[in-house]
Amino acid sequence: MTREKIALSPAMPKCWNPETKPHKFCPGCGHGLALKMLGEAIDELDIQDRVIFGCDIGCSLLSWDFFNVDSVQTHHGRTTPVITGIKRARPELIGIAYMGDGGGYAIGAQHLVNSATRNEKVTAILINNTNYGMTGGQMAPTTLPGQKTETTPYGRDPEETGYPTLGPEMVAAIAKEGAYVARGSIANLRQLKKFLKKAIQNQVDGNGFSFVEVVSSCPTNWRTNAEATWSFVEKDMAEYFHVGEFKVPGQKEEK
Amino acid sequence: MSETAKKVALTQDGKRASFNLFPDLCKGCGLCMQKCPVNIITWSTDLGVYGTPAVCTTDQDKCIACKNCELVCPDAAIRIIVKGKK
Ligand SMILES: Cc1ncc(C[n+]2csc(CCOP(=O)(O)OP(=O)(O)O)c2C)c(N)n1
Ligand code: SF4
Ligand code: SF4
Ligand code: SF4
Ligand SMILES: [Mg+2]
Repeated sequence: MTREKIALSPAMPKCWNPETKPHKFCPGCGHGLALKMLGEAIDELDIQDRVIFGCDIGCSLLSWDFFNVDSVQTHHGRTTPVITGIKRARPELIGIAYMGDGGGYAIGAQHLVNSATRNEKVTAILINNTNYGMTGGQMAPTTLPGQKTETTPYGRDPEETGYPTLGPEMVAAIAKEGAYVARGSIANLRQLKKFLKKAIQNQVDGNGFSFVEVVSSCPTNWRTNAEATWSFVEKDMAEYFHVGEFKVPGQKEEK
Repeated sequence: MSETAKKVALTQDGKRASFNLFPDLCKGCGLCMQKCPVNIITWSTDLGVYGTPAVCTTDQDKCIACKNCELVCPDAAIRIIVKGKK
């Protein structure tokens, strides 16, 4: 089969910064997929000139120069309050706080809880890759029972370390009317983009706090090839982390 | 879609669509291979940005132009151009 060399524009979201591509995430990392859907969401909502993007410590920080939008890289777990502060000072901007599961559910859990309680008009996006990716794959609040990590070499024992955090379920339980809460997955990218768009639109409409967890991957620390990576996301993680919308403004709660 | 600055692409032409791979973007993760419904994506003799094999298709005429591969690539290293569409 012949492969001819041609000059062509890659199919990148318009708001991606092409000068920083290829980006710094590992081969096959779910961060790249989540940020591709976020990029398409920003393009489709036509808000590139109004977005302020904040990233956390952890692999999310590798996105500090990812988009052609104003960006800030914060301390570990502090992205939600930094974006909250910016949003309060400049309410016309659209604040997006992008973090890992360690950042959002461990060291920064209080910020997630209190921003949700105060119904801050920001959009928080959290990448669930079941470990602390950047520091070499230690147990995170989201590590599955039995899952081996650097700090759970025999598998996570829930008797000793509890069960994985269910973030959207928790946020939906404490958030006020006007909040939008969902969990998407890199296994269903079109649905994930829909959730991200709704979470941003909810802020644009001034309704309240918006939160999307993304069931994602970390092939480097999982030590998985492509087949095993998809399988862990689509089977093991999907069994515990249910995808869907948990709170939608104006919609009656299903109890 | 944007008109991002052009890059070198290796193109394979087929009945329904062309498969365009940007070696400078491909990290050889293999995610795309797993999601091709007709199983035509394989390792290429051309290398990607990390010096690992990039990908190509074994028979581009079998491509059904579903764009799954383009969608699941975290690095935007594939662009499918459907015949008769811009
Ligand atoms: C205050 C503080 N505590 C600890 C660290 C060390 N540290 C760096 S990244 C990280 C965990 C990152 O995991 P996560 O938030 O899940 O992001 P991921 O890399 O998995 O995307 C930790 C604990 C730090 N940088 N700052
Ligand atoms: S360590 Fe894991 S989360 Fe971090 S960039 Fe690599 S694959 Fe992605
Ligand atoms: S467009 Fe669909 S059929 Fe064609 S190579 Fe990609 S995944 Fe396979
Ligand atoms: S998904 Fe993208 S980066 Fe990964 S092997 Fe396929 S073309 Fe290359
Ligand atoms: Mg993590």
